[in-house]
Amino acid sequence: METLVELDHVSKSYEEKAAVRDLSLKIEAGSMFGLLGPNGAGKTSTIRMMIGITLPDAGKVSLFGKPFGNPSLRRVGYLPEERGLYKKMKVLDQLVFMGELRGLGALEAGRRAKAWCERLQIADSINKRTEELSKGMQQKIQFISTLLHDPELIIMDEPFSGLDPVNAMLLQDTLLELKKQGNAVLFSTHRMDQVEKLCDSICLINRGEAVLAGGMREVKSRYERNRVIIHYEGGDEFLEHPAIAEYKTYAGHAEIKLKPHADAQDLLRTAAKAAAITKYELVEPSLEEIFIETVGGRSDA
Amino acid sequence: MLNGLVRNTLLIAKREYLERVRSRVFRITTVLVPVGMGGLALLGGLGGRKLAGPENMAIVSTSSTLANDVRATLEEGEAGAPAPQRIEVYAPATTDDMAVLKQQIAAHQIAGYLLIDEVPGAPEPEATWISSSSVDFFRREQMEGALRSALIRQELLARGMSQAQVQELMQQVHLKTMQVKNGSMVASNSERSFAGAYGLILVLYASVLIYGINIARSVVEEKTSRIFEVLLSTASPDSLMLGKLLGVGAVGLTQMGIWGGLLAFYAGSALAASQGIHGLASLGLTRAELVYFPIYFLGGFFLYSGLAAALGSSVSGEQEVQQFSFILISPLVVSVVLLPYVLGNPSSTASVVLSLIPPFTPIIMYMRICSQTPPMWQVALSIALLAGSVWAMVWVAARIYRVGVLMYGKRATLPEMIRWMKYS
Repeated sequence: METLVELDHVSKSYEEKAAVRDLSLKIEAGSMFGLLGPNGAGKTSTIRMMIGITLPDAGKVSLFGKPFGNPSLRRVGYLPEERGLYKKMKVLDQLVFMGELRGLGALEAGRRAKAWCERLQIADSINKRTEELSKGMQQKIQFISTLLHDPELIIMDEPFSGLDPVNAMLLQDTLLELKKQGNAVLFSTHRMDQVEKLCDSICLINRGEAVLAGGMREVKSRYERNRVIIHYEGGDEFLEHPAIAEYKTYAGHAEIKLKPHADAQDLLRTAAKAAAITKYELVEPSLEEIFIETVGGRSDA
Repeated sequence: MLNGLVRNTLLIAKREYLERVRSRVFRITTVLVPVGMGGLALLGGLGGRKLAGPENMAIVSTSSTLANDVRATLEEGEAGAPAPQRIEVYAPATTDDMAVLKQQIAAHQIAGYLLIDEVPGAPEPEATWISSSSVDFFRREQMEGALRSALIRQELLARGMSQAQVQELMQQVHLKTMQVKNGSMVASNSERSFAGAYGLILVLYASVLIYGINIARSVVEEKTSRIFEVLLSTASPDSLMLGKLLGVGAVGLTQMGIWGGLLAFYAGSALAASQGIHGLASLGLTRAELVYFPIYFLGGFFLYSGLAAALGSSVSGEQEVQQFSFILISPLVVSVVLLPYVLGNPSSTASVVLSLIPPFTPIIMYMRICSQTPPMWQVALSIALLAGSVWAMVWVAARIYRVGVLMYGKRATLPEMIRWMKYS
């Protein structure tokens, strides 16, 4: 598969502070890539080097198999973390301007802008000034402006923050469709549930360093299925079982983390003696738990 | 690549132009400024008429010949000075007459009366001007001159000269003023010969204030809203800056064009004719002044706009733009302060040097062009330096803008900015 972005042992520091340290990653066409990390981990710094807003102090950045160069940027769609649109401009004018800047003709840009506004259910607002719209609407408009020129590589810094669940889902589905069409999508987030659902591969960075990277399945398979969710009625003495490392109890159920290589079947037998079990599930750790485990206590946030 | 640069620059210029021309501020200033200026001119005209216009007065004298002679001279008027409208002569005046005069002064029917008393034995009469206000509607010299020539006339008549001879002798002399401009002599009108220069100062000052601050604001807007992060991921900072300046410059020119058209229309209109102006030419503009006007206006405009963009790029918030507007305008203020010196010594070394320093060039060099004809090489050099510094300013502004992406919230220090310059 074609590699669209490659960071090769890239480092960057601002003043005295190292933002990114010796980071390597690859993003392939037709995949969705999650860049994860706590606040201040270096996600935005990494993204900025990919699109040449800053240059790495050391290491190499390649886009579309070539060393970084400005002409490649027309094939990239970039949505920055802090959203910016011209407040006084009308939505359609704004989208056409952005499209033209990325090499589309005015007519084509207008046609695509209208089609996208239909698709994201904001066609009513097309002739309004940007400042008259709600934040969520503005975010959709910026989302469109990023995608108007049909970029092969889509880079989005925290694309879902501040959106209600319905709209977040709409944008997620859109990204998934674009991925199916063969575009590569990279987005950064600290929301693990989204990553878990959407991404084919991830890179978890903390303090500028990659602490966990690879395909989603592969990363998760590195972790033992050592989580137990048990729904029960009756006594909870079984929670003192030697296989249990730690647990949390909720109304009618408990979430248990087992000790390494513990015997989950023996725990089930013990529990069944003390209480009526309605559900007993052995699960792999969620990405969120992996995240907390890996970063836990070491985060700057 | 170059194609892309030109295309992006034009796209950005187009956006900046259209957004501004469509804005309410543009419509309001385009209409309000001429209305305001016209109102001021009209007011000035009315006020001037009221202040300096013809007024009534009276002359009270023991000698009627002298009084009538003074009246005749005053009525004839002096060049440039308004003549009194109606002059009553009381010679000699009765007590009743005096009471009436005092009443008329109190009722503002006359500005005052000139009392001329022949003192027996003295060679000259004693003259007193009695009025109600401290402001003299008729100039003191005017009355003194009239009295003096009346006395001389009487003296000449008394020495046996004929009325016609005296008339001929006492004819007023008019001084014609000429000026050497561009190697040929032209009639000069000392009040209007700098209309072009003052016009440039006014227009440049206004447009730098309006559009310079406007550019700084729009740069700050792009920075604070982080639009420039998106823009910079497609367009080069040079085309962003250049496009911005060209777009806003075109807005300025559009507005100037509208105002210029209105001025030309006004100058050719009946209203202007009634105020003694017949067409643009009578505003005292020579062809050279008209040709150089757009050159120095545009040069100055782009230089100051570039400076505004650079200042805008180096600040982090809207409020700071206000503080910077003083820095922006100060070279213009300095130019205006230096003007009297340059006018007095247009060819001195200091004037030549000043006119070649780019921030001062638009006003000072243009003033030199208006007042005499500087050597061609100086004019050419000043334009070249101005153009070069515009280019340098855009380059610097683009660099600051480009590296401003890295700044979050804090203002850049000078050493930091210099480091930015080296950053590519």
